[in-house]
Amino acid sequence: MSFTRRDLFKMAAVGAAASVGGNLQASDDAYPIDCSQTYGVLVDTVVCIGCRKCEWACNNEHKLSTTDLKTFEDKSVFQQHRRPVDNAYTVVNEFKNPETAKPYTIKVQCMHCNQPACASACIVGALKKNRLGSVDYDAWKCIGCRYCMVACPFQVPAYEYNEALKPRVMKCTFCLDRLEEGRKPACVGICPNEALTFGTREQLIDLAKERIKAKPELYFNHVYGEKEVGGTSWMYLASTDFINTELPKLTNDPIPHTTETIQHGIFKSFVPPLALYGLLGLIMHSLRENKEDKESDDERS
Amino acid sequence: MSAHEVPTPITRVPFFTKGTMIVAAIAGLGILAYIYRLIYGIGAATNLDDQYPWGIWIAIDVASGVALAAGGFTTAALADIFHKERYHVIVRPALLTAMLGYTFVVIGLLADLGRYYNVWHPMLPSMWQGNSVLFEVGMCVMVYLTVLYIEFLPIVAERFGGRVSLPGPLRVFNKLIDSWLTICHKFLGRFISLFIIAGVVLSCLHQSSLGTLMVIAPTKMHALWYSPISPLMFLMSAIAVGFPMVIFESLIASRSFKLKPETKILSSIATYTPVLLGAYLAVKIGDITLREVWPLVFDGSYESIMFNIEILLGVVAPIVLLSQRKIRNSVAGLFTSASLVIFGVAFNRINVFLTAYTPLYPGKPYFPSIFEIMVTVGLICALVLVYRFIVLNLPVIAVPPSERGTDKATISTVKTA
Amino acid sequence: MTKNRLLILFAIVIATGIVALPLLAQRNSPVAMPTTDCTRCHTCEVPTLREPCLKSCPRTEMVHQQGNHNLQDAPDSMLLSQLADLYQPVHFNHKVHASMAQMGTDCATCHHYSPPGKIPPCSDCHSASSESTDLKKPNLKGAYHRQCLSCHREWSHDTKCVLCHIPNVEGLMKSATEDPTDIIGKTHPVITEPVKKVYQTPYKPAPVVTFQHKEHIDLFGFRCVDCHEKENCGNCHDIEQTSKIKKTQEQVHAICNDCHKEDACSKCHDTKERPGFSHNKTGWPLNQYHNQLDCWACHPTGRQISKLNSMCISCHKGWNQANFKHAVTGLLLDEVHAEMECSDCHADHRYEADPKCDDCHDDGRTAKTAPPGMRTKHSGR
Repeated sequence: MSFTRRDLFKMAAVGAAASVGGNLQASDDAYPIDCSQTYGVLVDTVVCIGCRKCEWACNNEHKLSTTDLKTFEDKSVFQQHRRPVDNAYTVVNEFKNPETAKPYTIKVQCMHCNQPACASACIVGALKKNRLGSVDYDAWKCIGCRYCMVACPFQVPAYEYNEALKPRVMKCTFCLDRLEEGRKPACVGICPNEALTFGTREQLIDLAKERIKAKPELYFNHVYGEKEVGGTSWMYLASTDFINTELPKLTNDPIPHTTETIQHGIFKSFVPPLALYGLLGLIMHSLRENKEDKESDDERS
Repeated sequence: MSAHEVPTPITRVPFFTKGTMIVAAIAGLGILAYIYRLIYGIGAATNLDDQYPWGIWIAIDVASGVALAAGGFTTAALADIFHKERYHVIVRPALLTAMLGYTFVVIGLLADLGRYYNVWHPMLPSMWQGNSVLFEVGMCVMVYLTVLYIEFLPIVAERFGGRVSLPGPLRVFNKLIDSWLTICHKFLGRFISLFIIAGVVLSCLHQSSLGTLMVIAPTKMHALWYSPISPLMFLMSAIAVGFPMVIFESLIASRSFKLKPETKILSSIATYTPVLLGAYLAVKIGDITLREVWPLVFDGSYESIMFNIEILLGVVAPIVLLSQRKIRNSVAGLFTSASLVIFGVAFNRINVFLTAYTPLYPGKPYFPSIFEIMVTVGLICALVLVYRFIVLNLPVIAVPPSERGTDKATISTVKTA
Repeated sequence: MTKNRLLILFAIVIATGIVALPLLAQRNSPVAMPTTDCTRCHTCEVPTLREPCLKSCPRTEMVHQQGNHNLQDAPDSMLLSQLADLYQPVHFNHKVHASMAQMGTDCATCHHYSPPGKIPPCSDCHSASSESTDLKKPNLKGAYHRQCLSCHREWSHDTKCVLCHIPNVEGLMKSATEDPTDIIGKTHPVITEPVKKVYQTPYKPAPVVTFQHKEHIDLFGFRCVDCHEKENCGNCHDIEQTSKIKKTQEQVHAICNDCHKEDACSKCHDTKERPGFSHNKTGWPLNQYHNQLDCWACHPTGRQISKLNSMCISCHKGWNQANFKHAVTGLLLDEVHAEMECSDCHADHRYEADPKCDDCHDDGRTAKTAPPGMRTKHSGR
């Protein structure tokens, strides 16, 4: 019995440390990237006009579903709330600003978090944040457990459920191929109103704050993604509180923080498991010797 | 291990009875559904979607499966590490349950994995991902499964050591396998304790880490189950369910194989259960109190009802029942209480992975498809069949000499250290 | 010969003088300095033509010199042809848009940077290249599209490219221009002001509010934008009416309360429709001269109009027999009467009453029977 108790105490200590906010830091080299210099995109929903050209450009770039521009001129899709799916990395939704009753449109896609929950969750490291800012997916490594979909605080990754043999997790790649060539993502390139601005995170945060300062009557005073879940590469400006958009209300704590604190607490240089092993071995050994001494007479007879 | 009760293959019941035929039929349907999933994909076979990426294959086949296989490590710890020798009779059945349990957990998991053929990827050092809870669970389960097979190997060796006779052209391997078994037996006999301790450590690690899995989704989890000490509660509930699981299957086995139930031993291990469950309940209450979510327990929502069923029926009721000697000493009382504990823990796993999980943009609510149910039920039935087959052919269940019959295969006791 | 030379020299001097004088005069007269802070655009203290030391373009504050620009001087239409290889030039009807903008914030609706002098084209600041490194201002593509699409989207809910861009392909041209909703090439109709608007309000005791729209413009000199301050195209042209919201009671009253803050409800609310305002009903019908006056000329007490003393001298205090041209009343006084004090005939300065003659004349004459001068025409007050 004592082993379980002792163990429980140890686990309790770990859990308590995690719940109090974690003095046990997630290992320092987990996020080697300086996120102020990674690329990002500022989505200005005040400027967005909901033309859906970004959807077309994305489909075209990644050879997803239909690539006929005409089908993207259809505004009736706004009547339903859509989410990124396996054949559309990005979608534009229309909402009504409750203060002005004016419609506004918002593009959604992978936020490319600075400390991505999906990458922390991934069992084989198929999802990784790279130095350009993209959270990149390697289908070859993927085992298809879909834990990333459970973990994502923005509910972005979609899955090719209808693919029997080689299903992939489908999400915005930040057009990594284009970034590596020094080009902007396809959606940013096509946006007629330049509602999407591509730059380093640092530049974009400055830009966003400047826009709010210049026209406080147009903008809700908050840069969504600057601090949410430890910051995201894609950030948003809006005319109304973000509660009215489809972006979830999130704290500034990186999502993987709690689980990683627990994990690294349990596996700190493998000391806790080895200690438990040693302890159990000791108990086993000492109890056996007691027993053998007592039973030695019986066995000899 | 008492000299009177020796593990023996059970020969006096046939493999096929009316009951086994029905179980086999259900298992067969399950296998068909499994094949359907492999051919047509997850989308065709399940009701999973982008909002609900995990369904009953994870909640029941994997999470509940792992929890209910905890009997293996708890009995091993009790009998082998703490040297409570009289419980040795239940070590082998518990070990077999754990081994089969984990095997079917992996089979169930393979159905759920989109790229099941990549399941070995976490073993490649180039793909190690130390931040991932799932990586830890996966590695521990993989190693633990190996350890379980190693622990089980002496039982095979005991039965077939020196007697390997494969049919037909396979005859040429007889000698090779025979000598291998003998070597294993000798080697393992000396070092088996290393593996037993490893099994306990590995179990503690991944049983708790299963509880950490959903901690990564704070915004999607219902506050009743979202707790940073979820891993501790998972471990405690797994330890608590270990002995009831042994009681449950021992009682079923004795009925099925027409043996006298080991009431004395079973009621003896049942005394631990109220203590273990009580500790679990205390932590749970502390957790609810510290996180100040008591109002949610009584708000009458769907989630609160599920939570109350889980706690009252699955934790409080068995504590009350098993605290009474009279109930502990009756077969019916033992069976009912053990069933309640098992129900409670399985229900907790289902609650954590399904009930508590609310996606951000829920479309239609998740309910398992007919194929998902067929695979889950089929796998359980298949497990029962394989268990029966092994018990009939290998020395797992200890049978008193009076009931042993005229079994030629009975061999002298080998003390598994 | 020398005489001729002298003549030519003289002519040159004169001609130079004629040309130079206005310039000199202009230089001497104080130039109207723009009210804008110089440092908003210039980095140095003394910008010169050669070195204007202009700041780079993105200016967070709008620079707009209303007085310096005149709609009449602006072009009627423009051709935007940056993408001539792909599309036919975009025909932008400046006049139509400018006339619509008068309902809003005028030129500033679109022109966010209008320094004195020629208004710079968008491409002066907004780079035509898509690879611009300055994130703080949109490229030319964004600058153009934001100007057009932000409004066009609001009224038509359409963001099709062909709204403006007619592809440079023969077959496609026709279909694009045949779109009946297409406003290109048409002019915006004159916005006619309603005479009055009658509102049924939920105020039970007196639900009818008659708003004399024309009267407010004619009598009080309001401009459209004074009341319609936040109007945009979508307010009238939103084809799906998605942007119409029910205003709160506060919002409805706010626009009237600028002036009518202290009035009782009954100032506007009534049980039935009200006729417009006429000065006749006040007991003081306006004559041809008073009619031309601004209300505030006689009713100077702020915005609250109160009844005035109807005696002429209550306003015309400085009038006496020397400076008042009696002829405007329709009677040119003869020499004798012109020398008399006004009050000699008009007792107690009561000019609306008949003048009394019997102070001097005993024959019972009146001004009617024996006018003290020559009648020019009939006239009222």
